[in-house]
Amino acid sequence: MKDMYILAIESSCDETSCAIVKNGCEDIATVILSQIDIHTNFGGVVPEIASRHHLKNITMVIEECLKKSKLTMDEIDAIAVTYGPGLIGSLLVGVEAAKTLAMVYNKPLIPVHHIAGHIYANNLTKKMEYPLLALVVSGGHTELVYMKDEYQFEKLGETLDDAIGETYDKVARVIGVGYPGGPVIDKMAQEGVHEYNLPLPLNDNSYNFSFSGLKSAVINLAHNYEQRDVELNKANLAKSFQDVVIETITKKTLKALKDNDIKRMIISGGVAANKSLREGLKKVCEENGIECSYPDLKYCTDNATMIGAAGYFAYKKGITADSNLNAKSSLSLV
Amino acid sequence: MKILYLDTTSSFLYTAILEDNKVIAEVKEELGNNLSDYTLPRIEGMMKIKNISVDEIGKIIAVNGPGSFTGIRIGLTIAKTMAWAKNIPIIPISSLEAMALSSDANYDYVVPAIDARRNYLYASIYDAKNNNFVMNEQYINADTLNIALENLSKDSITFISNDKINVNYDVQPYDPKIEKIVGIVKDREPVNPHSIDANYLKMTEAEEKQKEELN
Repeated sequence: MKDMYILAIESSCDETSCAIVKNGCEDIATVILSQIDIHTNFGGVVPEIASRHHLKNITMVIEECLKKSKLTMDEIDAIAVTYGPGLIGSLLVGVEAAKTLAMVYNKPLIPVHHIAGHIYANNLTKKMEYPLLALVVSGGHTELVYMKDEYQFEKLGETLDDAIGETYDKVARVIGVGYPGGPVIDKMAQEGVHEYNLPLPLNDNSYNFSFSGLKSAVINLAHNYEQRDVELNKANLAKSFQDVVIETITKKTLKALKDNDIKRMIISGGVAANKSLREGLKKVCEENGIECSYPDLKYCTDNATMIGAAGYFAYKKGITADSNLNAKSSLSLV
Repeated sequence: MKILYLDTTSSFLYTAILEDNKVIAEVKEELGNNLSDYTLPRIEGMMKIKNISVDEIGKIIAVNGPGSFTGIRIGLTIAKTMAWAKNIPIIPISSLEAMALSSDANYDYVVPAIDARRNYLYASIYDAKNNNFVMNEQYINADTLNIALENLSKDSITFISNDKINVNYDVQPYDPKIEKIVGIVKDREPVNPHSIDANYLKMTEAEEKQKEELN
């Protein structure tokens, strides 16, 4: 098969990104324009502001990516785009731009599910082998996905309420340490000890997660200390909170691996950048003879490179779309 | 030269291809929440019927708002991406100006207005005799606008709107006269496609709230 170059666009949240990926595994050029500094002022992503910035920046990001790749549109074989799930106004900008490029240059259009993108981010670092279990942890998602073979997804479990990244953000806000919460809390936790007792959420036999109870427990604890005018040790709270998060995630993940006799797992999504979580999972996997891998840190957070990687395998499966493709704020992977 | 006109700033899609200043293909269709599904297919459809390729489009005129935030972004993303990709000169125009220019009603003053909710409008006041705006477009309380108009003779004023708006004047529905609009704006200075942006006329609620808190 001849080499295939895919130009991919991702705009599902607050990053406007364009990438060119060769054969689903080689990052030829990636441009990511993050809006994080803008949303930090508001303590979280404001959807309408995110959409406004995507519109403003979309063509500049595409142009920059093409320049960086030193390729021309003639050398691009297909256009891939995240069409869901995500913030609808944000997704729409990427989808309309991708559809227009596909139409203008007469290229195939490949619709990519955002989570499929996060999973295939791994293929940019190491060729994925099947069957495998993918743990997807990000600001908007916490899912366990079983892949029997290439581009085949079966969701085993997911969060029943808040996503893991969302929970970190809320906890960070309650203890007043800023946004985004993940990196801040992970760093603080390195300096703390497990002092506070927090409940292990959804301690059952399912592969599902729940974080709203844990979040409430942290909020209640903080209020309780505040009322008693006792100072809370923030580093210790961060450590106590993160320990529980890692315990629940490793427990459910290990159960899914063992029950289904899966020997390989990959970690994906923005929260995969969390060092303690990665190390916690790696340790459990080593103890149980399971191969565990995760993408390079730069491919953990939202980027179009992972969409280009996933798009290649989607295209091999014959998945394409027409110019009536619409963005979907919620979209099932399977 | 062929010109593409595109307006997705309301629940209607208004798009046309013009050749030598005449409309040769046109779509005026209420699409509501389905603008994303159908806007690009309709443009493709017009081109296919008239056997026109994108390379023949010599200019794009894109309506950039005010109106539905999402709708504005759908049309502008298509327009700016196409303009950037094919190096086509692009000219933005305000939806309120397009509305004012489309009026052939026999009134001295034309007030194009779009419902902005909570008794607010996006509106301007156009002097149809002198062909200029006597009130620039703005996000304005409907009562404030009614007061602003009090000094003018009531019979000399008409609103143009497709929305249910709370005003004391005649309201004519909006039906874009695309040939006329394009004829007037086509020789304006084109802008760099990268700089094409929405004319929202209104900050986001989060920004408004932050501004209030700062004051």
